[in-house]
Amino acid sequence: MWHIAKRELYDNLNSLRFALATVLLLGLMLTNAAVYLHEHPKRIQKYNASINEALTGVTTRAESLYTLAQEGPGLLYKKPSTLRFCAEGGEPFLPNVVGGTFLWSSSGGLKGFWRLNYPSTSPNLTDIRPNVTKVDWAFIIGYVLSLIAILFTFDAVSGERERGTLRLMLANPIPRHTVLIGKLLGALISVSIPFALAVLMNLLVISTSSTVQLGADAWGRLGIIFFIALLYASLFLALGLLVSARVSRSAVSLVILLLIWVTFVVFVPSTLASIAGGFSSPMSTDELWQRRGELYAKRWERYDAYFAERVERSKEIQFKGEHVIAEAEEQERVNEEHLAQQIAQVKFARGTTRVSPIAISQHLFESFAGTGFERHLQFLENARTHARQFRKFIADTDSGDPESSHIIGIREGMSEKPVNPAAVPKFEDMLNLSRDFNAALMDLLLLVLLFVVLLSGAYLAFVRVEV
Amino acid sequence: MLMTLIRRELLDNLMTFRFAAAVFITLLLVVANTIVLLKDYEQRLTAYNKAVNESHQELREEKTYSGYAGALIIHRPPNPLSIFNLGLDKQVGNKIEVYHAFIPTMWDAEKHGADNPFLNLFTSIDIVLVFQGVLSLLALIFAYDALAGERERGTLRLVLTHPIQRGYILFAKYISAMLCLLVPLLISLLLSIILLTTSTTMSLRADDFLRIGGIVLTSLLYVSLFYLIGLCISAMTRRTSTALMLCMFVWGVLVLVYPNLILTAVDIVPQPNTQISVYNQIKQMWEEWDRENKRFLRNDAVLGPLSRNGEGWGFRLKGVEYSFAPSEDKPSTLLYFYQTSFYAGKIGAESEPQVPLVQDYYGFYNRETINTVQRTWLVRKPALEAIYIQPANLGRMLLRFSPGGLYDAATEAWAGTDLDGIQDFFSTVQRYRRAVVDYFYDKKIFESRQWFAADKGTADWDALPQFSFHRSDTGINAKRALPDMLLLLTMNVILFTVIMLIFIKSEV
Repeated sequence: MWHIAKRELYDNLNSLRFALATVLLLGLMLTNAAVYLHEHPKRIQKYNASINEALTGVTTRAESLYTLAQEGPGLLYKKPSTLRFCAEGGEPFLPNVVGGTFLWSSSGGLKGFWRLNYPSTSPNLTDIRPNVTKVDWAFIIGYVLSLIAILFTFDAVSGERERGTLRLMLANPIPRHTVLIGKLLGALISVSIPFALAVLMNLLVISTSSTVQLGADAWGRLGIIFFIALLYASLFLALGLLVSARVSRSAVSLVILLLIWVTFVVFVPSTLASIAGGFSSPMSTDELWQRRGELYAKRWERYDAYFAERVERSKEIQFKGEHVIAEAEEQERVNEEHLAQQIAQVKFARGTTRVSPIAISQHLFESFAGTGFERHLQFLENARTHARQFRKFIADTDSGDPESSHIIGIREGMSEKPVNPAAVPKFEDMLNLSRDFNAALMDLLLLVLLFVVLLSGAYLAFVRVEV
Repeated sequence: MLMTLIRRELLDNLMTFRFAAAVFITLLLVVANTIVLLKDYEQRLTAYNKAVNESHQELREEKTYSGYAGALIIHRPPNPLSIFNLGLDKQVGNKIEVYHAFIPTMWDAEKHGADNPFLNLFTSIDIVLVFQGVLSLLALIFAYDALAGERERGTLRLVLTHPIQRGYILFAKYISAMLCLLVPLLISLLLSIILLTTSTTMSLRADDFLRIGGIVLTSLLYVSLFYLIGLCISAMTRRTSTALMLCMFVWGVLVLVYPNLILTAVDIVPQPNTQISVYNQIKQMWEEWDRENKRFLRNDAVLGPLSRNGEGWGFRLKGVEYSFAPSEDKPSTLLYFYQTSFYAGKIGAESEPQVPLVQDYYGFYNRETINTVQRTWLVRKPALEAIYIQPANLGRMLLRFSPGGLYDAATEAWAGTDLDGIQDFFSTVQRYRRAVVDYFYDKKIFESRQWFAADKGTADWDALPQFSFHRSDTGINAKRALPDMLLLLTMNVILFTVIMLIFIKSEV
């Protein structure tokens, strides 16, 4: 088997396609590194500046517990991933911030309380540059490496048959599956060499730069991504072997492979996503505003009805506090519902794109690079956790003040003492590898399954080959 | 003789597996995507109509003229030809305010209607993109063995023994392959047009068919260019499988790698960092005007005592219900303005003598505001162009080095979804703002009582000039598409000559 693999390898190393693949991959990976080194420090700088601004905001608001509770912890920013060069994950289309509002104040001297609020428009409305798929690892692997894999195997069987060497090889006492595995291994190694070289150059450029530090965790993730890339490439190698074994002429084999490739890799993901996205229509922004307005009006109706008759002072404060808190909670619930519907639509669309191997690999790269949609969901979850912590902190601090009457929501009922700004919980957006791995497990299994199916298909086809 | 050659090539090509597969895949992708795009267009059209109606009603609810701040909203209709090339049609905002205190640009536009921003994660595929990917691939698949294959099989020698000029052979091959490639192109376009005409909301006008004709012509040029690239490779190589592999590398680089690579790399080009300074400059102009206004209010013999410490709000008129200050403050798009005004429900009789003075003041205030807007526009316009348009144009210029970029640019121009087409809309909105301001000047609305009070007659919105936008003439579309089409044509001619030279010199 090793003999066959070695022979394949030598065959490939001297070929034109090997040289072309190496040049192409190297060029792409080096561009990727250069662009990343140019952009990432800026991103980090912007993130740090925003974080500092948010912190200054908290410090000014911490002069009184009430103000802090009412105006909230400020904007919560998404931490840019260090591994963004692996997968851009559509980050420019995703909001990088979760806001909060407190503006819904109205009569009765009441100010609305802070609640989570999600940006509803795409942040790149002003961008009129031509559309582009950023050249990241996911692009290089997903499109270019798969194309290269096809170009390396399209003539693996049919070419030998054309030249007549297949007959010669099968005349030796080697089982056919050994030949097949040998060919697969040889092709895999010859695809891996230029790819590994390009990856190495890419990482070399990135790690020698002083502006970006890759930690142990990041290297672990990069290793996983590399192996997923190899798995993905072998998927296409197996497909190439399958078609090559079934077809007698190598040119025909390549034509079929290319048509399959262009359909499944280039067009199927977007087409399916658009079709699947059309099945559900989530609450629109207009509807959201309408629902919020209705709830708000109803809440204030109840308020006015309560105060239609005279109420004693202590009960008045109690009711006002409850009113403010209930209003904020209600609004936040509608916001959550709106967001959940949008997310459900996208999740369904993403699920259907799993028909195509490139979408599966894209999801995997995104989850290990800490970018993209799943990462955005994690960020939203982090923001929610932070909101809970923040509210708990307010309640705890308030209960620690003996002068306060512990009615959260209204100035008269709350502590107005200054808070130590350092004690206020800080929002830090975290990436969690084990969580990513759980989310990615299904995709990984799918990819492996697809590989096994294609490989057994190739085996069956090859066993039945007449020489 | 030529006819015989063409007939032979045609039969050769038509009866192949690759032809059947080509037609099938093109049809499948075009039909599936047309259905998706049509549905999307219908949704956008419904959202547009709903938004127009809502804005119409909202404006009618305003009783005073000054209430038109934030209520006079223009919506951009979706372009029906965006099905062929989406361009910027969905990307750029489609809801824009018209107000005298700023000049509307595409960067101030927002989006109306239902839109899940997360769906932007998926690239949308239009018909031109399908052609760009699939037809170019097919052209190469048709071309790779045109010469190398015949040489391999030995039939080339046979053909050349006849007294035929080599140019004729090439020409026959070219014509027959183009005829074959026309089949999937035309059938799929026909199907998608049939699908479009079955839709009740979509209405294609006669000139739209002319534009579609332009798109077909551009597609032909594009496909022919790829066929010639394939033929060139085929003429230079000895073996068909090498030719095909080289073709695929070229295809991968031209269609897939180059556009994305160059657009990713163009981010490294340093961009003018004038944004903050220009924004501050604009802000300063407004603040200067504000100081001047306050000085005027404080020192004016008549109005001074009416206004509280130089603030214009209310002017101590009895019956003023509330004051408002429409303002925008967006450093990223260099937008800054503010306007103070108030709404008087019913002005008390004792304030009546002061009303004409306030009217005069608002005439002055609005006139000066408009002058300030003009002053800031002189700074804002070039800065916006430097920040947004120049990088976009640089990207588009670099894309033109690949045939795909040329094809995309030309079809975008035909469909009217290119930057120029979108800018047509926004310059119409700018002219409309001017028309509204002129109308206000003419009818002396700025200095009318209805500007701030609704007790003696309310604003008459029906007399306001109406906004209407028509997509540019087909001639203008053609003019915009022409340079790119000519470039494609030139490339075609050059490649054909090169192939001719190679083929004539080659030994059989």
